[in-house]
Formats: sequence, C-alpha cells, structure tokens
Amino acid sequence: MTEDVLNSVAELQAFVKGHGRIHVVGRRSKTALHQVEADVALADLSGMTGITEYQPQEYTLTVLAGTGLSEIQAALHEEGQYLPFDPLLPDRGSIGGAVACNLSGSRRHRYGGIRDFILGAGVVDGLGRAFRVGGKVVKNAAGFDLSKFLVGSLGQYAIMTELTFKVFPDAPVFQGLRLRYESLDDALNAVFRCNRSTQELDLLDFAPWKRGWSLLAGLAGFQDTLPQRAKQFVAMMREETALLDATEVEGDGSLRDPLAGLTGDFLVKVVISPRQIAGFDAQLRDMRRRYSAGGNTAWLATGDIGALKKILEAEQLPGLVLRGSVDCPLIGKSPENLLAARVKQVLDPHNKLV
Amino acid sequence: MNRSFFEALRNIYPDDRLLTRDVELLPYESDALTAFQTKPGAVALPVNEEEIIDTVRLCHRMKVPFVARGSGTSLSGGSLPIADGLMIGLNRLNRIKKIDPEQRIAVVEPGVINLHITEAVRQYGLYYAPDPSSQSICTIGGNIAFNSGGAHCLKYGMTSNHVLGMKVVLADGVVTQFGSESIEGVGIGPDLVGLFVGSEGLFGIALEITLRLMPTPQLYRTVMAAYDNLGRAGDAVSMVVASGLLPGAMEIMDRLAIKAAEASVGAGYPLDAEALLIVELEGEALQVEAEFAELRGVIEESGAFEIHEAEGEDERARIWKGRKGAFSAVGRLSPDYIVQDGVVPRSRLGEALVKIGELKAKYQLDVANVFHAGDGNLHPLILYNGREPGALEKAEALAGEILAMCVDLGGSITGEHGIGMEKREYLPTMFSPVEMEIMRDLRRAIDPEEIANRGKMFPGGEAPALQMRGMHPLERQGVISRE
Repeated sequence: MTEDVLNSVAELQAFVKGHGRIHVVGRRSKTALHQVEADVALADLSGMTGITEYQPQEYTLTVLAGTGLSEIQAALHEEGQYLPFDPLLPDRGSIGGAVACNLSGSRRHRYGGIRDFILGAGVVDGLGRAFRVGGKVVKNAAGFDLSKFLVGSLGQYAIMTELTFKVFPDAPVFQGLRLRYESLDDALNAVFRCNRSTQELDLLDFAPWKRGWSLLAGLAGFQDTLPQRAKQFVAMMREETALLDATEVEGDGSLRDPLAGLTGDFLVKVVISPRQIAGFDAQLRDMRRRYSAGGNTAWLATGDIGALKKILEAEQLPGLVLRGSVDCPLIGKSPENLLAARVKQVLDPHNKLV
Repeated sequence: MNRSFFEALRNIYPDDRLLTRDVELLPYESDALTAFQTKPGAVALPVNEEEIIDTVRLCHRMKVPFVARGSGTSLSGGSLPIADGLMIGLNRLNRIKKIDPEQRIAVVEPGVINLHITEAVRQYGLYYAPDPSSQSICTIGGNIAFNSGGAHCLKYGMTSNHVLGMKVVLADGVVTQFGSESIEGVGIGPDLVGLFVGSEGLFGIALEITLRLMPTPQLYRTVMAAYDNLGRAGDAVSMVVASGLLPGAMEIMDRLAIKAAEASVGAGYPLDAEALLIVELEGEALQVEAEFAELRGVIEESGAFEIHEAEGEDERARIWKGRKGAFSAVGRLSPDYIVQDGVVPRSRLGEALVKIGELKAKYQLDVANVFHAGDGNLHPLILYNGREPGALEKAEALAGEILAMCVDLGGSITGEHGIGMEKREYLPTMFSPVEMEIMRDLRRAIDPEEIANRGKMFPGGEAPALQMRGMHPLERQGVISRE
C-alpha cells in the first residue's frame, strides 16, 4: 500500500494525478474510516497544518485541513472566541476530519453544526484540480455552495486542503447541570419542554444513568447572571417535568464530551430526531449511548455492530461507524445518491477518491 | 414554444391556470429588478407537487426552458422570465403542512410566504429566523433559490442554515429527497441541502421543505446611535465586535436613506445624522439586560451625538419597519434605482464607504447606503432616471465598480441577493476559470438541457452555455478559437 505524507497542495495534486484509487487520512482518530483495500493509496494530510488567517475582528478563521483541533481551539481561546459547532474529538482529531465526517459536539446545540459555520474551502478534486469553493467573508451568496456539500462527504468528492470558518465570541462562564429522570419518556418530555421554552441552552444531552436517565444541560453567559438563569431553568423543569433532582456539575470534562464513557469495540454516530428516539432506544438493550443536541444525534458504543446495523435499517436511520473494524463505515439508511452522484461525476469522474 | 408543448401543458392545467394572453402575462414580465423585462411564453400555476413534476418533465422532454417564480421579489433578476420560455408560478403551493413545536420544525410548500411561518408558529413561542426585507411577501421557494438573508445573519445564518430537509424535482424531472427532521439535517453523507440552497433555480424546484424554527427571544433591546459621519458609525461596529458581544443585528443607514425612510415610515430616526447605527440584542432577559449595559457603555464611547433606546415593542417595530422599508422609501426619491449587495470584510467597511463616495462623485449619481454592518453586507442604492438616455448604463457601470471594489477588498459580489441576471458578468471576478468550469459542469450534470432558469448566474446571455465537449462547430470551421 502506497502512503505519502503530503505537505502542500502541489504535492497532493501530483499524488492524485499519479495514483489510481486514493483515500485521505489525517490524524486517524476515527479508525473505522480508514479500512481500505491494499491497492488504495493513502494521502496523509497530517503534515498540512497551521492557521493561515485568523482575524478575530472579522470572526473568521482559515486553517489547513490537517491542523489539530486542540491547536485551533487554543488560538481562538486566546482571543475569547470559539468554534460554536464544538468539534468532536478535540484532543485527537484534525479539522479536516471533523468536516469530512461532520462531527459536531454537544455545544452545537446553541448555534448549529459545522454546516452553519463553514464559509469556504480550498480543495483538490479527483482530477487533481486545485480550486476554492465558497468564500472567506461571513456572508456570501455567490456561486454554488460546494463548501457545505463537503461537510459529511468523507473525502469522496474532493480533498479539503484549507478551510474557512465563521467563529464567535465565547461566553465568559459556562454552567453545567445534571437533571435526573426516572425514565426515557420523562427525559424526552423534559427535552420537549426545553424546546418550547425561551431559555437558551448551550448544551442539551441525555443518557441512561444509574437506573434512570440523566439530562445534561449547559448555560453560558455572564458570571453575574448565570446562577439566577440556572435557578430559573431548574425551577421551570421542577414545576413542569417529572424531575427527580438537579445538581450542578463541572462545566468541563464529561459534561461537554458526548463520547465520555462510551466504551465498546464500535462507536457509531446516528442522525435521529427526538420523536424517533423512544422506538429506537427500546431496541438497544444495554448498548452504551448518549443523545446529543436535544436528541438530534445519537452516539452509541457496542460490541455487536451487526445488531445495531439491523436496528438502523429497520428504523430507517443513517449511521456512521467511527471506531471498530467494518467493511463500510456507512450503515443503516443509505445517504441520497441521485444528486450526489451527479456531483461525483463532475469532481471525481474516475472514482479515484474512496 | 410550439403547439405540441402547449397541448401537453393543457393536459396538465385547466385554462384558468395556464396563462397565455398578453394581459395575463404582463405581471410576470419582471421581478424586483425592474430594469429588465421579458415576456414569458406562458405562465403555469400548479396547485400541487405532481403538477410541478409533470411540468418539469415535460419541459425537459421538449427542451423548453422554465423559470420557477414565487412572489417575484428577487433583486438580482433571478426570477426574470425567459423569452418564450415557461414561467411556473408557485404561489398556490402555500400550505404549511406540519408544525412540530416540540422538535422546533415546520414542513412547508415552496409558495409559503416567509413571514407567514413566523405568524403560524408564534403561538408556540417560536419564529423562523431568516428575515429578508421582503419577508412579508417573498416565498420560501425563492428564499431557498437565492439563500436569502436579512438583518440577523451574522448570529443566526442565512436560509441555508435553517433548512433541514427537502424534496426536490431536478431539472431533468428526477425527484429526490435529502435531509431529515433532525437538526443535523443530512448529517451523514454530503450536505445536499447546503448545495441546493442558493443554486438560483438552476438545479430544479424545491417541492417540500423542512425548516428549523427558533425560540422567540424573551427580550429584545434595540438602540439607535446617531453619528456625524459614516466612518464613525463603522468604527462603532468594530468596537461592539471587539467588546465580545454578539448582537443579533447591527445596521447602518446614511443620511439619504435615513431621510427617505423617515419620510415614509416616521420611525423616529434623527434627521440631522450623517449615519445611523441600529444595534439589537436579544435572548434571555437576564443575559440581555447585562449585555445591554455593556453595549450602552461601548456606544457611549463611540462618539455618537445622540443615543436612543427603543421603549417597548411598538417603537422597536417602527425602527425595523423604517429599516426594512428603506429600499422602497429611497425609491420614492428617484424614478429608478439599482440595489447592490456586495460584501466586504467588516474591518474594511470604512474604506469601502469612502470609495463609494468617490464613485458617486465620479458618476454624478446619488447613492444611498443601507447596510448590514455586522456582516459587512453593503446595500448601496444607486439612483437614476431610466428615461434619460444612457442613465441605466451609467448606474450599472457605477454598480460594477462597487462590485469590483468588494472583490478587491476580499469580499463577495453578493451577500444575499444572488447573482441572478444582474451580476452574472461579474461572477468570473470572484472565481477562477477552473472554478467557473466546475460550476458550469455541475449545472450540466444536474440539468443537461440547461433549461432551469436558463441565462441566470453564468455570464453569456440567454443561450445555454457553450458545451466544451469536443470542438465547437465554428471552431472546427476556423471561425472562432480558444487560447
């Protein structure tokens, strides 16, 4: 198997033109995505790192695709800013990997996911052409928006070399809360209550916890107002949901990491809506899981990927395996392929990018 | 349009929903970019998605170009008809099919008016965030085609950020669906919603759309600050950004726009100001009050000669009515005007405004400035009298220089109106030849006959773009050549 570390766009272009089937790797934090056949050449972008343009006053950031998420977050933190989509695997992943797999974390609940913050990208397509898509300013409606198309594209249409994002000022203080419920139904009703309220939560996850369910909520804002806002929130939940008890939790650590405690051979992301959860969850038995972003993403860990695959197929839910050994990381409901195939025909007509 | 096409259309539509007489076609000759007018061959008015699908398939089969149109509010000429082509009016597909307040979603047809969604979900404490100035008449289908924005884009994004799922008919009649009711939208696999939104009607027609709704803020705090020059108002915006606050909207209007809007709406704008800055915070009451105290301090330091806080919802509504009605209000000052929509990096707003002032003097045309300062989106309104020979051309030349300036400053030729008919010649100033070629190929891969909104977005007139597959017949004969 050929494997080259590529340090520039020109090197990547030459690599694409000089090889048959190609698979892109960065920091390899998502092992399930890199199980390719022996004839596939690996284009390693882990050397393409660095922040190329950061203008805090513009709320824009441009980085090379192989840049580590921790490096980006540290640079933003210095200016009191952050990536509101809260990329997953912040200690291990690269920004290119986060975009290619569309992996947002729990704080995406407040302002949105990667698609809501990507502004543009530099790419090399399957023909070896280097070009830009999107723009570098926070607002732009010129041309087809291929930058959003790249989100979740798994590097199979064009290889991202550089990415531009909108960033936001971060709130000075973050407050975490754990609300305990007896059952999933109670937790789901609590989520629905949150969705009907005007309280602005930064984070809203839920997961099985100590023979019941735990609803994790996060609020962000000013030090002076946060305790009162948290009090109002808990009072509302106490009055209008089947809340057992509420406790404050540390803002860092497991509260913000939706993958905390999700041990198991396979780790899977599932796109779901809150109303689909009850029926889906009833089939999961003892699988470790956490529902994130108000029940719009499920993170699951299991040793039995076959069983999960069957459940996803029956429920018509799409899943992406991130960890574990699988033939194909896409399981469950297949992504749309009528329109996507037309784009593939233009960007990678020889099906080089796998 | 030939007889057999008409006959096939008559199999889909009854007489009262297939308009062919001159007097019936007149309202469809133009959109909000009135500088261009063309009579369509016919207007079809479908009432359900099956009729749309049948129509698109017929157009594809018989190679008849079509334009999908909502309320025709495009400021870039995006819904201008194609001469002798078919106009498909979507206003009658105006049902809100589903509202799920607990999931914060709504499922709508393309002809639903933007503001009607907010009106329908207000009772649940929700609203639909994208708020183009024409929101009381523009349709979601049009918003999707042009990825419409509004005053609150910096914080909440544009139309694309509020569409979770879609059912569409592609230009060759293929029907497909992508996205979901999850806030993740597509979530796994390439984000086709993101690609389709903003494609200016060149890929096909959205039949059903799942939208994300937002919680109505507990509290709005809106402040107006008057300045004796535009530069100072621009600096104030930079100061607000530097403070770490994230207002929902930051808008600037210059003297001419203030005067016109005030005369039209009576919003209470200060008539002695050279520039007016409107800043709005919204969210949870406790947080907003704390932020507003900080904002007030920043504005006081910014050199404003008058600061006024909106007292109550009525005054806030008046302030926004004035701002959103500024285009039409300025229109009263002049027989004709062109609205531009360029974007510059926010920190270069001052530079851009100075340059616009110079261009105004050079062309001896009045220009009123209204802009979304938070995201650097300029809306210079170039005033001219279309009855004067050469006036439109002069106004267009001025508009062209403004767009070139936006690109030079690292911005975009359009923030929210789209390329449409108006800016198609400028698209190559933003994109390289390779990027242009890829976009053209993409268009042809999705619409092989180039019938959907033909003549828009790409430079090169009404005719379909030259197909670069082998030599052009004239090239073969040695009449034209490529270097």
